[in-house]
Amino acid sequence: MTSTTMKLCFVTVGATASFHLLLEAVLDESFLEALQKLDYTHLLVQYGKDSRALFEELRGKHRSGKHGIKIEGFDFNTAGLDSEMRMAQANPSDERAGGVIISHAGSGSILGALRLGVPLIVVPNPTLQDNHQEELAQQLQKQGYVVSSSVKEMAAALPRVEKLRANMLTWPPVSGVGKKKRPPLEQVMSDEMGFLD
Amino acid sequence: MMAEWLSFSFSFLCWGLVLGGVAAIVIVLLLFRALTISHHAAVPKWRLKNSPAHLLVVLGSGGHTAEMFSMLRRMELDPSRYTYRTYLVSSGDNFSAAKAVEFETDYLGQRYQTTTKDARGSYTIVTVPRARRVHQSYLTAPFSTLQSFWACLLVLRGLHPDQKLRPPYFTSPYPDIVLTNGPATAVCVILAARLLRLYNYLVAIFEPRRKPTSSGSTRSDLQLRTIFVESWARVTTLSLSGKILLPFADRFLVQWPALGGKQMWKGMRKTEYVGTLVD
Repeated sequence: MTSTTMKLCFVTVGATASFHLLLEAVLDESFLEALQKLDYTHLLVQYGKDSRALFEELRGKHRSGKHGIKIEGFDFNTAGLDSEMRMAQANPSDERAGGVIISHAGSGSILGALRLGVPLIVVPNPTLQDNHQEELAQQLQKQGYVVSSSVKEMAAALPRVEKLRANMLTWPPVSGVGKKKRPPLEQVMSDEMGFLD
Repeated sequence: MMAEWLSFSFSFLCWGLVLGGVAAIVIVLLLFRALTISHHAAVPKWRLKNSPAHLLVVLGSGGHTAEMFSMLRRMELDPSRYTYRTYLVSSGDNFSAAKAVEFETDYLGQRYQTTTKDARGSYTIVTVPRARRVHQSYLTAPFSTLQSFWACLLVLRGLHPDQKLRPPYFTSPYPDIVLTNGPATAVCVILAARLLRLYNYLVAIFEPRRKPTSSGSTRSDLQLRTIFVESWARVTTLSLSGKILLPFADRFLVQWPALGGKQMWKGMRKTEYVGTLVD
């Protein structure tokens, strides 16, 4: 791999709740080391509306650039995060290697990454009350779509991503063996309408 | 004499209470029975393939709205079939309204350029008050919920001020089908739809001349069909809206196997596991 090839780790905490633990985890010394070991060159963080100060403070600690990783951040993009997620897609003509997306367990962000086919680490927010997000992350990991990780194990999750990258499944999942003639929702709506066919 | 009259009026009051109580129980049981029967009444095949249809889509908020449009794209919603679409959003939810316009102009507009001009730009976005705003007191919440419920009733009857003139080929104000995936407003809309259907059913019994089945192309007893889709993010437990709507929605779709086959009480229709509907 040449030194000019870009490999991006994109982190998103989402729009609704702040997720300081995730920011602290991805700007931790051990995590940056793990990134460096796997040839990552860039770290881009979407840190949320009220976390600019924390992000700047954490980034300030790595001014020396010991790991050679370029760290950048922004609060939020109202137009969606699709363009940022695309930067983590492999694109040889642009000298870009396939990177990784690290996301809170919101369904919108998860679906966004799955659609683009970029490996994803899902990190449920432990400070949120309902744990149904954690169940979603676990289930998707079991099926082989994502890597699920707690905020404490982020550095260890990175090597697991490389394994996932090698066996990426396509999204959306194809429906079972007997291929139905219609998508299920279309079928149900049609039945309820009482269309003659 | 006085004592006699007192005891008479007391026993009268007692009987009144007993009879009232019995009547209330009978009505509740009848409603339960009606719900169960309606859950088992399959929709007959009666509608001509190319007849126009009015679809009402309830847009919840951020994640719910995103999932809804993801499902509509994946099912390749055909505007030549669902010729008129109403999108219902809660006040202040600009994201959902913007997504609806984007879906109509970018997706449907580009995908179906060949279909009749009529079917393409044929949609309305209606705003109803929120059932409960974030941080709103629980004391005032019942009132705002009622206000929201009332607005939903108006929308279903085509009387909401936001509603433009619907295409002239619709003789009925009711949407044919209501598609929702939560949260609060979806509950209001489905309950309002069921209430309207009950009302029409009772009217038809007591005024046989106005029996809705008699008018050829529209059968108002087969309109306002309700479909609730549980969020893709729900793997093992139903959402609160889902739990409330379980006995009321005509079809209850879930996207993870652990949620399939649930029912409110014995004899009711079960939730249907249909696999991943989002893309």
